[in-house]
Amino acid sequence: MTSVAAGAKLTGGVVFGDTLYELGGKHDNVFLVVSDCGVGSKKFIESYGDRFIDVGIAEQGCIGTAAGLALEGHVVFVLGPAQFLSMRACEQVRTAVCYQNLPVRLMSYSGGGLLSSAGSTHYGMEDIAILKSIANMTVLSIGDPQMIGELMRLSIDYPGPMYFRMAAWKKDTLLYEPGSVKYEIGKAITARKGKDITIMAHGDMMFQAMKAAEELSKEGIDIRLLDMFSIKPVDEEAILSAANETKGIVVLEDHMKYGGLASTVCDVLMDNGVMPKAFKRLGIPQTYPGFGNSDDLRNKYGYGLADTIAAVKEML
Amino acid sequence: MADQNEVLRLKEIAFKVRKMLLDLSESYSGILHLGGSLSMVEAIVALYHYGMNINPKDIKSPTRDRFVLSKGHAAACMYITMALRGFFDFDEIVKTYGKLDSAFGTHPCKVHLPGIETSSGSLGQGFAMAVGMAISARQQKKTHRVFCMLGDGETFEGMVWEAANTAGSYKLGNLVAVIDRNKQFMTQFDGTYMNMDPYADKWRAFNWNAIEIADGNDMSSIVDAIDALPAYDSQMPTVLICNTIKGKGISFMEKNLGWHSGSLSKEQWEVATAEVEKAWELERSVV
Repeated sequence: MTSVAAGAKLTGGVVFGDTLYELGGKHDNVFLVVSDCGVGSKKFIESYGDRFIDVGIAEQGCIGTAAGLALEGHVVFVLGPAQFLSMRACEQVRTAVCYQNLPVRLMSYSGGGLLSSAGSTHYGMEDIAILKSIANMTVLSIGDPQMIGELMRLSIDYPGPMYFRMAAWKKDTLLYEPGSVKYEIGKAITARKGKDITIMAHGDMMFQAMKAAEELSKEGIDIRLLDMFSIKPVDEEAILSAANETKGIVVLEDHMKYGGLASTVCDVLMDNGVMPKAFKRLGIPQTYPGFGNSDDLRNKYGYGLADTIAAVKEML
Repeated sequence: MADQNEVLRLKEIAFKVRKMLLDLSESYSGILHLGGSLSMVEAIVALYHYGMNINPKDIKSPTRDRFVLSKGHAAACMYITMALRGFFDFDEIVKTYGKLDSAFGTHPCKVHLPGIETSSGSLGQGFAMAVGMAISARQQKKTHRVFCMLGDGETFEGMVWEAANTAGSYKLGNLVAVIDRNKQFMTQFDGTYMNMDPYADKWRAFNWNAIEIADGNDMSSIVDAIDALPAYDSQMPTVLICNTIKGKGISFMEKNLGWHSGSLSKEQWEVATAEVEKAWELERSVV
């Protein structure tokens, strides 16, 4: 495994490939099933070719086939883009996989959210809303490339289906010092302790949230930063504490503003009768975004770095 | 050539399945998918009572043949066929069918009913799962087969052909699709708006060994087709295209679009039961 320190760049795809190869060697029931996208999986394919199935560009058949393998006792990793895993194959995910509570791991390599210049055919911006609504499904959104490996290892014995939104696929910054964080599904990571305002983010947006927190700290604003990588199950305690202990909550996500983490946070607060002192959600509005690089698009739609900083200041 | 005593034994089971389907329908207040259940009786009976290596006392045996009812709406026919093989108690099916917490509902649910291989009913999905099961068997070097029954209407679904392409490409000779080709869908006949033909050639184009059974309600023909299946380690999946009649055995249901699903009145049950019994008497007397 590649070993690097926080702040360094690491390619999530390499971590995925290395970890899959490692797990394939340890567990002879691990399969990889793809629809023409075995990117990053070369070592697994070369070593365990009889456990690699490529069905061509056919996501529905891909998920159905994966479910059949899982019914026979295999842990099946399915690699694909967020938008096609969650939408093209939505009913297969729901009915073939989740209904039967099968150990299929949907690995979204395209990150979700607004990928530079891909256009709205390829923006996986509803994936979390769709998949978190399906019973039995666990939904994770990962920003730190190293976390991909840690959570894949953990997934071998984790019950039921799981969705990994791997924002960290190309060269991404390591958010955490390797070994410094214990990853537990259902528990938020406190990336920064603070008492003024809480920023909750997941996936790619964690890096932006960290930058915002640093900028704000220069002005004496003490940010509590929570990495809500486990969107379902979600860390209710962390959400309630944030509402009770800080002056407001900003939820930042590269996803539709309504339906994603922000909505989950609201659900938890309402279900517990807790009203935050202030609340703001930053994400993609009800639109089909056009082209541009990720930063430009985030700025255009109001969830860039400047917007994040402004949202916090408005609460103070 | 099929052993005629064996065929007669299977025909008697098929007779019982039809009769029990009628009994279930009469006792149940909701609707049953009778048309597509009656058309596939011979094929599913031949599989569960002749062709498949299964043991109701060891439902998790690793060496068992797998069966997937991809046309899940015909679950009642499968429950009854399995009951007659010793998997379930028919009285339990009648007593609980469709009721709260029952293991038996319109579409089969593996979560509630151990003994079946998959939940199914969303058309096309069972078939893709069967492909996954066949891939697993190959990778594990196991010798069992995976059988999957589909309705012909189901094969309008795009994902059926995605899965068919996978099976053909991966040369899954351990996979057998059985098509209940009754040429009748929920609201139309084959050819009214949509055409299936050239049907066998469609499968052949996906690298399948397509076998047409002229009369898929003829037990002897089904048994012959099962006997002639290529070995599990052959290099091409097989599809048995059973040309059947929707509503088979009940004159007022046969080829009648009104009986895709329905509920039997007492009078209809009496007429239908009398027809099924008469047909069986005739069958037996010929022998």
